[in-house]
This record gives sequence, C-alpha cells and structure tokens, in this order.
Amino acid sequence: MSLPGGTSRPRAASVEARLARLGFVDPIRARRMLDDPAMTALVGVADDRDATSIALVEAMGRTSDPDQAVLGLLRVSEAVAGGALRDDPEHGTAALVRAVREDDVARLRLTAVLGGSSALADYLVSHPRAWRAVATAQRRTGDELRDRLVSAVQPATRGARSAYDALRIAYRAELLAIAALDLTSPDPVADLPVTAEALAQLAEAALEAALAVAREEYGPGHEDCRLAVIGMGKTGGGELNYISDVDVIFVAEPAEGVGEDRALEVGTALATGLMKACSATTGEGSLWPVDAALRPEGKAGPLVRTVASHVAYYRRWAKTWEFQALLKAWVSAGDRAVGMAYKSALSPMVWEAAGREHFVEDVQAMRRRVEGLLPAGEAARQLKLGPGGLRDVEFAVQLLQLVHGRYDASLRSATTLEALGALAKGGYVGRDDAAELDEAYRFLRTLEHRIQLAKMRRTHLMPVSPIELRALGRSVGFVADPASEVQEARLRRSRNVRRLHERLFYRPLLSAAARLSTDDSRLSPEAARARLAALGFRDPAGAMRHLESLTLGVSRRAAIQRQLLPVMLGWFADEADPDAGLLAFRRVSDELGTIHWYLKMLRDEGSAAENLARVLGRSRYAADLLLRAPESVSFLGDPAGLAPRDVAALTAIMRNAAGRRDRADEAIAAVRGVRRHELLRVVFADLVGGMGIEAVGRSLSDIAEATIEVGLEIAIRSVEHATGEPVPTAITVIGMGSLGGRELGYASDADAIVVHQPHPGASEEVAQARALAVVQELIRLLAVPGAEPPVGFDTDLRPEGKNGPLVRSLESYAQYYARWAQTWEFQALTRARCVAGSRELGDALIDLVEPLRWRPGGLTPTQVREIRTMKARVEAERLPRGADPRTHVKLGRGGLTDVQWTVQLLQLQHAYAVPALRVTGTVEALTAATAAGLLTPEQDRVLRASWMLASELRNAGVLWRGRAVDSVPADVRDAGGMGRIIGREPGAPGALVEEYLRVARRARAVVDDVFYGAAGELGAK
Amino acid sequence: MDRQEEFVLRTIEERDIRFVRLWFTDVLGTLKSVAVAPAELEGAFAEGIGFDGSAIEGLSRVYEADMLARPDPSTFQVLPWRGERPGTARMFCDLRMPDGSASMADPRYVLRRALKQASDLGFTFYTHPEIEFFVLKDVPPPGGQPIPVDQGGYFDHVAHGASQDFRRAAITMLESMGISVEFSHHEGAPGQNEIDLRYADALSTADNIMTFKTVVKEVALEHGTYATFMPKPFAEHPGSGMHTHLSLFEGDTNAFHEAGAPYQLSRTGRQFIAGLLRHGAEITAVTNQWVNSYKRLWGGGEAPAHLTWGHNNRSALVRVPMYKPNKGNSTRIEFRSLDSAANPYLAFAVILAAGLKGITEGYELPPEAEDDVWNLTDAERLAMGIDKLPGSLGDAVRIMEGSELVAETLGEHVFDFFLRNKRSEWADYRRQVTQFELDRYLPRL
Repeated sequence: MSLPGGTSRPRAASVEARLARLGFVDPIRARRMLDDPAMTALVGVADDRDATSIALVEAMGRTSDPDQAVLGLLRVSEAVAGGALRDDPEHGTAALVRAVREDDVARLRLTAVLGGSSALADYLVSHPRAWRAVATAQRRTGDELRDRLVSAVQPATRGARSAYDALRIAYRAELLAIAALDLTSPDPVADLPVTAEALAQLAEAALEAALAVAREEYGPGHEDCRLAVIGMGKTGGGELNYISDVDVIFVAEPAEGVGEDRALEVGTALATGLMKACSATTGEGSLWPVDAALRPEGKAGPLVRTVASHVAYYRRWAKTWEFQALLKAWVSAGDRAVGMAYKSALSPMVWEAAGREHFVEDVQAMRRRVEGLLPAGEAARQLKLGPGGLRDVEFAVQLLQLVHGRYDASLRSATTLEALGALAKGGYVGRDDAAELDEAYRFLRTLEHRIQLAKMRRTHLMPVSPIELRALGRSVGFVADPASEVQEARLRRSRNVRRLHERLFYRPLLSAAARLSTDDSRLSPEAARARLAALGFRDPAGAMRHLESLTLGVSRRAAIQRQLLPVMLGWFADEADPDAGLLAFRRVSDELGTIHWYLKMLRDEGSAAENLARVLGRSRYAADLLLRAPESVSFLGDPAGLAPRDVAALTAIMRNAAGRRDRADEAIAAVRGVRRHELLRVVFADLVGGMGIEAVGRSLSDIAEATIEVGLEIAIRSVEHATGEPVPTAITVIGMGSLGGRELGYASDADAIVVHQPHPGASEEVAQARALAVVQELIRLLAVPGAEPPVGFDTDLRPEGKNGPLVRSLESYAQYYARWAQTWEFQALTRARCVAGSRELGDALIDLVEPLRWRPGGLTPTQVREIRTMKARVEAERLPRGADPRTHVKLGRGGLTDVQWTVQLLQLQHAYAVPALRVTGTVEALTAATAAGLLTPEQDRVLRASWMLASELRNAGVLWRGRAVDSVPADVRDAGGMGRIIGREPGAPGALVEEYLRVARRARAVVDDVFYGAAGELGAK
Repeated sequence: MDRQEEFVLRTIEERDIRFVRLWFTDVLGTLKSVAVAPAELEGAFAEGIGFDGSAIEGLSRVYEADMLARPDPSTFQVLPWRGERPGTARMFCDLRMPDGSASMADPRYVLRRALKQASDLGFTFYTHPEIEFFVLKDVPPPGGQPIPVDQGGYFDHVAHGASQDFRRAAITMLESMGISVEFSHHEGAPGQNEIDLRYADALSTADNIMTFKTVVKEVALEHGTYATFMPKPFAEHPGSGMHTHLSLFEGDTNAFHEAGAPYQLSRTGRQFIAGLLRHGAEITAVTNQWVNSYKRLWGGGEAPAHLTWGHNNRSALVRVPMYKPNKGNSTRIEFRSLDSAANPYLAFAVILAAGLKGITEGYELPPEAEDDVWNLTDAERLAMGIDKLPGSLGDAVRIMEGSELVAETLGEHVFDFFLRNKRSEWADYRRQVTQFELDRYLPRL
C-alpha cells in the first residue's frame, strides 16, 4: 500500500471525506483498496487521478454497496491479472482496463454488478473471463438465448468440459448480462416485466439445452419420444425470479411408428435426465431444482403422460387449484407441436373450471390457505406470503381470470401484470386501482429481485441488518436515508395490496351496481353475477339488486354506502350466509339511512361496520331482532357499547322507561324495548366480542331478572289501579332452573315460583286473591307479543306443578315442603334464587328451603334411588319422538341434563357439609365439587367440556336459525353455520358432529360412574 | 382418468365383461355387492354409485343424503366363478358422502385412517394372515349338528380326501384372482383347513380376506360342501382362528428388526407388542366380535386367553416366531387372538392403533412368558401380573366402552354403532336356554 509522504494526512482526510460523501461506508478501507497497486491501471495513483479515474470511483459510489464494489473490482482485476487470462486480447488485463476506462456503459455495468451482488462478484473472481459478459451485455430474444445455450452443450463446442458444466457456465454468462442490464436500468421498477421475462426465457433456454443433454445421454433411441416441456408457475407466466424452482410438466407423444409404452419409457428417462442436468451439483454448482409436482396426481403420478392422458385426468379428477395452475401453462422447451397440442386440448378446460361444482368452496379454501401460509415471526418481513404479499396479488388476479375469462378471451394471459392490465381494460377492476396495484406489484417484485441478487439465494424476506437495508434502498434509488426510505416505501405498497380484495373483487361490483362509473368499460351485469357467485353468494341476482338499491342515486347515503360496501362485501363473503347478511344490511339501511348518526357511525367508528356485517352474515336471530328496531345498532358507535349492563343498571333504565307510561301495556312495551336492545347487545358481544358462554348466560339472566322485576312493579300498579286500593301483600319471584343458575340461553324459558306474605292485619283471603291477580297480570304482560321474543315465564316447578296455585304464601310453602314435597322438588330447589320483588320475603323463603335442599346428613339411600330412577325415566320418555339420543344436546346422552343432574346430586348429598357447594350455577357447583374432592380433575374437565359445548351449540342454533335447535345439526349447511359461530374452522362440517359425539360420550361415562354409581350394566341402555 | 381406470375399462372391453360387481363391507364385516353394467362404470369412477346407506348395517346416515360407492380401480379382478359366462368382475369401493368426502361409516376408511396415522410416523403396515375354517358336509338343519367333511388331523394327507381337492381348487381360484397363497394344510380338527395368504399391506390384505372368504364358500358349494368361518363350531375340537403376522416397515427396512437384539426384535417391535398387550383387552370386541368367538378363546389348547407374549409360546397372545438368520426383513410378530369371522378392516385398524400407541407412548415391554399360561394357577398368574382377555362378548363390550383408543380409531359413528349392535347381540344370547342347560339341569332340578 503506497501512501505518499508528508502531505498525505490532510489530503487523505479530504479524499476520505469525498469517498464518504460518495456513499462509501468505510472510506479508509476503500481508499486503501484504491491505492492498491493492482488497481493502478484502473484508477491511476493516489495523487494523480485523472477524470476517468474519478468517474470510475463515482460509478462505484452509485452502486448499491460502493465498498463491496471497490473490493470486487480489486479482486476481479487481480484475478484477471493473476491467471492465464492476463494477456488474452479480449479478456485480459488490457481489455479490462480499456473497458473500464474508455467504455462508459461497461464501467457502469461492471461496478453495478460488483456492488449489487456479492455472490456474482465471487463468481467473477472465480470465472474472470465472464467479466466481458457483463461489459457487453445486451438484451437477447428468447430464441437467441436458446441457440446460445443449446450450442454451448454440444460436444463440438464444449470441448473438454462436461455437458453439465458447459450448461452452467453458459447459463451464468447470460444471467450476468441480465443482472447487468437490470442493475443499470434507470427505472428498474418500470423495467421489471422485461427483466422477469428475460429470466423466464433464460430458464426455458436452459431447459432446452438440458433436454439436448438428456437426449445425448440416452443415446440412440431417444428419438422414439417426442417430449414437450410445459413451463408452469412463474416460468410459464414469463415472470421468473433470479432464484426460483422451475415448475414444469412433461408431455410425451410417440414418434411415428413407435408404441405409446415405448415413448413413455423413453420420455420418462429424458425427463429424469433433464431434471438432473439442471439440478445436479457439479464443480460449477447447479442451476435450480426442476419441480414437476404440479403434474396430474402430483408426486405420486407418472412423470410423463401423453396429451390424451392429461386430458382424461383433467376432465375427471383435477381440482380447482390444478386448473388455476394451468393458467400459467406455456410451451417452454422440447417438441413444440406436442406442446401446442397439449395447450390447445387443455386451455378450454381451464376456462370451464369456474362452472364446476365446488368451485366456490375450493376458491374459499384456497384463499384461506394463501392467507394462512405465513410462518410466524416472518410476517413483518415477508414479501411473498400472507395478506398483502405478492402471492396474494397473483392469486387474486388468477381468480378473477378464472371467473371472467370464461366469457372474455382477452383475459387469458399467463402473466400477472398483463392479466391485471386486461382486467382493467375490460372494466373488471377499476383503472386507478389496477394502476396502483400494478405499481405496487412491480415495486415489491423489484425488491425481491434485489434481495435475491445480493447473495443469489432464494429468499422472500426483507433483510434486517442496517447494512443490507441500506444497500437494498440504494439499489432501488433511495439516496438520502436509504435504509428507512426503502422500508417505508415497502410498507406503503404492502398496505395497498392488503386492501386488494376490496379493490379487485368488490369495488367493481359497486361501480356496476351504482352505474356511476364514468368508464364505458363497466363490469357487465353477467360478469358481476358470475363474480358474486364465485365469492360465495348463493343468489347473485338478488345480491346485485340489494347492491343497486343501496348505492344507486346521488344521495349522501348512496355515496357513503358506495364507499363502505366494497369492504363490507368482503366481510359478508367471509361469513356462513353472505346473502342473508347483505339483505339484512339493506333492510337496516333502508330504515336508518336518513338518520345522520347511522352512516357517520359506519364510516367513522373503526369496527362498527365490520361488526355489523359479520353479525348479520352469521346470525338470523340478530338480523330479526335488529330489523324490528334498527336504531339499536347505535351501541356500535360507542367504544364501550358491547359491554353488557349489570342488573341494577338495567332495572333502573327499565323502571325509568316504564315510569313515563300510565297504561300497563305501554309500560311493559317500553320495558321490553329496553330488553330487546340489551339482547341485541349481548348477541353482538357474543358473536364479535368473544364474550364466552358463561358471561352470555349471566347477561341473559340479568336481562330476564330486570324485566321480571320491573314487570312485577307494573303488574302491581295495574292491579292497584283496577281495584282502587294497594295490594295488601308483599310479592317475590324466586328464579329456578337456568334463571336461578344464571345460565340462561337465548331460547331458555325463565323458570320461577312466586311467594307472597300478607301485610300485618291484611285478610289472608284478599291477599291471596290480589297476589294471584298480580301474577296473572305479570304473566300476561310478559307474554304480550312484541318486537322481541316474549319472556317465557314458566311456573311449572311450583308445588303441585300445573295443578297447584300460581302463588302461595310463605306459610303455605312452609307447610307444603314440610308435609308433601317430593325428592325432585328438593332437587329443583338447588337452583332457587330470589330474582324480583321484596328481598326480605325472598330471604325468608330461601331461609325456609335452605335446610330442605342442603338437608343435614345429605340424601337418604331411598332418595338417591328416587332421583336416579326419575332420571332414567326422563331419559327414556322426555326425548322428543324421532330425536337421536346421541346428538340431542339437552336431553341426550352426555348432554346438558346429564351434567346438571350429576352436579345437583352431588350438591344434595354433600352441600350440608361443604358450604362451597351451596350455589345455584352448574359451573360454580362443578368447581366446588372438584375442590372438595367429590370429582377428580379429569371428571371435572370432561363434564365441563360437555356442558360448555352443549350450551354453546344450543345458543349457536338460536343465533344461526333464529329458533331453538336441540340437536347437533344433520344438515351440512347448518353444521357449517353453527360451527362458525362457536369458532370452529370453516369447511369441515362433519367434524362438529364427531366432536360433539366424542365429548358427550366421555361425559356420559362420568355420569354413569358418578350419577348412577357404576358403569352402566350391559343391556340396560 | 388415471391409468388404472383406463386399464379397467380396456380389460372389460377385451374380456367381454358384462357385469361388474362393486363390493364393499358393512360394519360387521359382511360383504355387500352392487352389480353395474360396464357402461355405468365411467360414471362410477367419476362420481360413484348412489345408494341408500340406511338400509345397511352400520351405514345409517350421518347426514340426510344418500351415500356413494366409488370403486377403487386398483382392486379390479375378473371373477373366475364357474358358469359365469359372459364374465363378471369385481372392484372394492370406498364409501363417500355426497360432497365427496369419505364416509365415517366405511370400514375401509377406518383402516385407511389408521394407515395414514402409521404413515405419518413413517411406517407401512404389513399383515400376513393364516386363515382357518371348517368344511362341512352340508349346512345342518336348525337344531342339527354340523358334520365335518373328513376325519383328518394336523398336516394329515387325506388320500383322495375331499379336503385335498377342495384346497387345490380354492387355491387355484385365489391365485387366478391375484391373491398369493403361501401355505395350506389340513388343520388339527376334522374338516378343518388352513390357508395362509402371502404378506401384503394391510388394506390389500383386508380386501384379500374378504375375497378369500367368498372364494372359499363359492368353491365349497361347487364341491357340494359347505365352508364356515364360525370361530368354534365344535365344542370338542379347536376353533378357527386367524393368526396374523404383523410387521412395520420404514421404507425398505423392517422396523421390527435389529440385529443382535433379543429375538432380533428392535425397540420399535418391543413397543408395538407392549401396545398390543396393554390395549389387547379393549380391542378384543373388534378382533373377536361374536358370542361364539369367546368359546374359541376360552376353549383351551392353542387359543390365547391371556395378555402375554413369548417366543414360540403357543399360549401367548403375541408370539415372536423363530428368526431365520440373514432374513432381517422377515422379522415379524404373530397376533393370535384374532378369528377369521372378524371384520378385517376394523380388526387391522385397532391392532395397528394399539401397536402404534405403544410406540408413540414408549411403553415398556413386560417380561416374556415362558410357561404355558394355561398350566399356571390363578395365584401364579396374579403374581406374574398376567391379565386375561375378556371372558365373553359382554365383558369385551364393556371394556371397549371405556376405550379412547378404539373410539378414536373407529370414529365415533362406527364406535357407537358397533357397541349398540354388540350389546344387543349379547342381550339376545343371554336370553337363550342352551342344550347344555337342558342336559345338565333338567334331570336333576
């Protein structure tokens, strides 16, 4: 290293400062290399650099990584000078110096490649002759590439080299040329399609050359088979990456006079030879793996088939995704006539795929797969996979091609960007949207190319180190702060792409429906219907009408809905019943569209529109409730709107609402209005707020409790009004069953008994009569048909059941329980809890039943036997005719009743000694029983699982169908819809039955042990 | 259409086949057959043939729609029955739901699922059954006694014996259907024969067993006799079992083989046996599914009634046969409780599942039983920790009820149907008053 004498320090500082300004990160090291004697011929000596030398240094400064460029140039010039090549007239040192110093283009290319790719720099060092390929790079046609590679592998040309090595060296020379042009392009993003096409053509040329090698290896007889190589994927699409698997399918036909079996045998050998010629690793490395897995039957199928055999396969067995793959088929190498025969036989089938059965389901499943492919931890850096990735764009474009290409031949391009352009031209996607996506796709692909080029590795991940990010940013033209600018630019594109489904799939539908597009090329009505069907709408014509009604016209409402619907359609389409969702939305909007807060809320409140769309697409029950009182959706605008109110707050609101009305019927209508609103809130919280079955049960119980409380007050006022005097007795409602246990479902009745206590001095007879009148009025009020389902107020659990009086005095209860009560009534009392009316009286009644239900010493053996017998009889008799005991979630084997009776038996037997068991809820009691050692943790888990799943299924049935469903549905659609509501994966409806059967079977085994006291005797069931 | 299907259609044309029988098996192992004309076959390959599953044992509808039978072209065979001119062929079917997904009620699918589980662990499951059966002079009239066709004994060569001709004819017919026969001989009891099939993957073997039973019955009829796979038709003679040799392969290597290990048995092999022993009682209702099966199991002699293993111990449930030097790939174990009246699909599925459980859970193999278990006293068995197989169908069903392993392997649908069916069979049996009771009690009570 020669540093000239005394003046070097200040000058050095300024040289280094200039180098740093040019973009060198380590200017001291860079300067040392520039001063290396091996560089003298290129850049002169330190103190005497002419303009050309400076231009060279500046050229290096313009590359992605100047430090790497200077090191690369030093190494390459050493390699040229140090070997046999030194005096070669075309490749030697003199030629290199001439190229770098005198040829502006060559200079830029060499520095760009050396700075842009450390892997290519290494290659140039080990193959110094190849520098000329960089310097003299020119864009070649596919045919030229083919000629060059094929001739390179001929025995006459390749000389002492093996055919494999010759192929690799020729391939790399062309790859260097492509990289040189790409890296020096003034606008690489715009040029991306050209680069990607060149890479695909080079791969095809290599396939052709590899086939020639395979034929040579096979020797005489190879001509018995006419073999065509069909490029698939990005190769077939003419849009390849630098480093990628090359997807192919092989098609063989016999040469004239040859049998088919013979041809297939030779064809298989040739195909295998071809794959090996490309993928084998020699001293010259390997090209890329050739992947033939897209062929019929995948890896299990024969490698080579005839055209007829392909046709037969696709006609019968092919799945939707296989047709999608065929979109890209392109005759890449081998016998063109055979390849064209294959293409012309198969492409009609591709365009019929959208009409096949299961197309919609397949597409939805494929979409889930595309979005779900993302390995955890890479999400933020992935360019290819996941939502917003390149694969997403490609997939969406292909899907639209399949849907619309059936009727419009202009859409049948194998290349993503061409197809996108054609879709825009035909009006299938908006022009602006298409242009923006096109740019985003090019940009992201360019980044992918640059990342792959750097190390020549197959990767789709953004780099993490600041150095690599900086080089990446510089490689696409960012100068000021390349590392952060490139990340920012990438994020902006990914965000754009992420809204792709909205833009590509839904927005054009809206333009079509609204007839507002200024383009002549609007999506035609037929195309719109085809697309809606492909997205999962079962009645596309109806859906189109709804869209028209929602968006036609110039009103503010139509304008806002045009903005909202593209996104909302996507949410509807994700749900189990998109048609119902859209219809319900239309009806809600018809009601509320003119109210100012409604549209504002949907537009401005983050999740309001999504929650509304998802709930309407999922639940008929919610849609019914909402349509009766659309203004309830207002809680979606409130950030805390999905938090249910507690019973005290509810009672206060209802009391307030009732207090403003004089007549009982009006008052109860007001109360029931509040109830409906609250029910809807719980439904929303359940469906989109992840509320959980236990919380839903508590909230529904709270609503019922408050309704009964205020209803009782209204009933008392009503009776007082009619009789003209105060009711002379205190009245209390005791909740029983699931109301007592605070675990009501959407379709559960509110079980209750009513007690009264005459005021001191009041006539018992009058008190009883008035109390009865109050209860009758309460029952009437709760059952009045209204805008929401009536409260099923059920008093059948009262003493003497249906034959007993509706209400009794406290004393009468005391007498009855002391003298007449049967064991089942004590069992029912395990769930008794005061819910409305006088608390004092409620406490008195609870005190009264306490020693009955938690009887000291537990149950007698006779009582245990009675309960067991009764249960066995209920099992045999209560099940509705025709119901399957295996799948009936309430009364069936291992269902809700089984678990409840088991828990209650334990309570009756042990609660006197274990105070924690004195609770009314099933789950609470389970927990207490396990804590007390009455159940093993495993038994607890099994019973709890069954109770949870059965309860969830009952609720899901109501939500999905709008009415109670007591069995796991046998209908595939119902199973799908209910499964979706309880959070099961879509697309596997059969799994729900299997899951319930398993859970219930296990629960039944525990019930047999714990409740019946033994594993059931054989034959008893 | 794949090549197999092309082959099938071509063969049908070339051999002038007028009917194709589509075979499938119900949950209890009875062969079912639908005949279709060749013209319908293309459609059957593409979509399957629809039928009402509710009419067939155990196939009751899981969903409210008809089921489809889709023929498996790799099982195509021309039937060599005499007198069937023009020819008839058969294929086994997979049962599908209308949406094309597999039916949970299809025994073939149960076995496929179990095999999938094995292949996920890298294993292929091979089986090699030794099928025993009786040839009778005729079907006895109700109340009558079965009469064997000869009086030969083990390996006896019965001169001009009807059995000899019969076996030759049966084997010829089996071979002509592509089922390789390894070995055949006269068994211990009069009229009893054994034919061993060559080892094959479990699904093919199960298909072959179904075919085998049909062929044997068919040939017997041609000879004016009657063949039965009833496990124990004669109280005084040994019953008919189906000892089955089992092995797991990982690629081309036998996963049970380890040179130098005791009996050349690898750890995988030992764990597989341990699984069979631990879960042996749970799966017995499937491997021995009839009331009569337990008469064979508890009839003494060579029947294995205890959960033991041993080397050349003919009273053990699992026997490790003598190892032939330098034949590493022939290492296998013999499972001896199975009888030839089981549904082979379900039986292979639960056997495989039990063995795999031993492997995945890493069960320890208990010590080998060297004595004839029948000669031990109860106290000795207790001391050695030897459990027994269920004593009756009733016991077996009760034990199976609690088995997660069997439920998961069969699927909830088949599991539930099987239990219900067997409970009611046991209940029917208990209601019988037998000859034994009459003979024993009438004179003295």
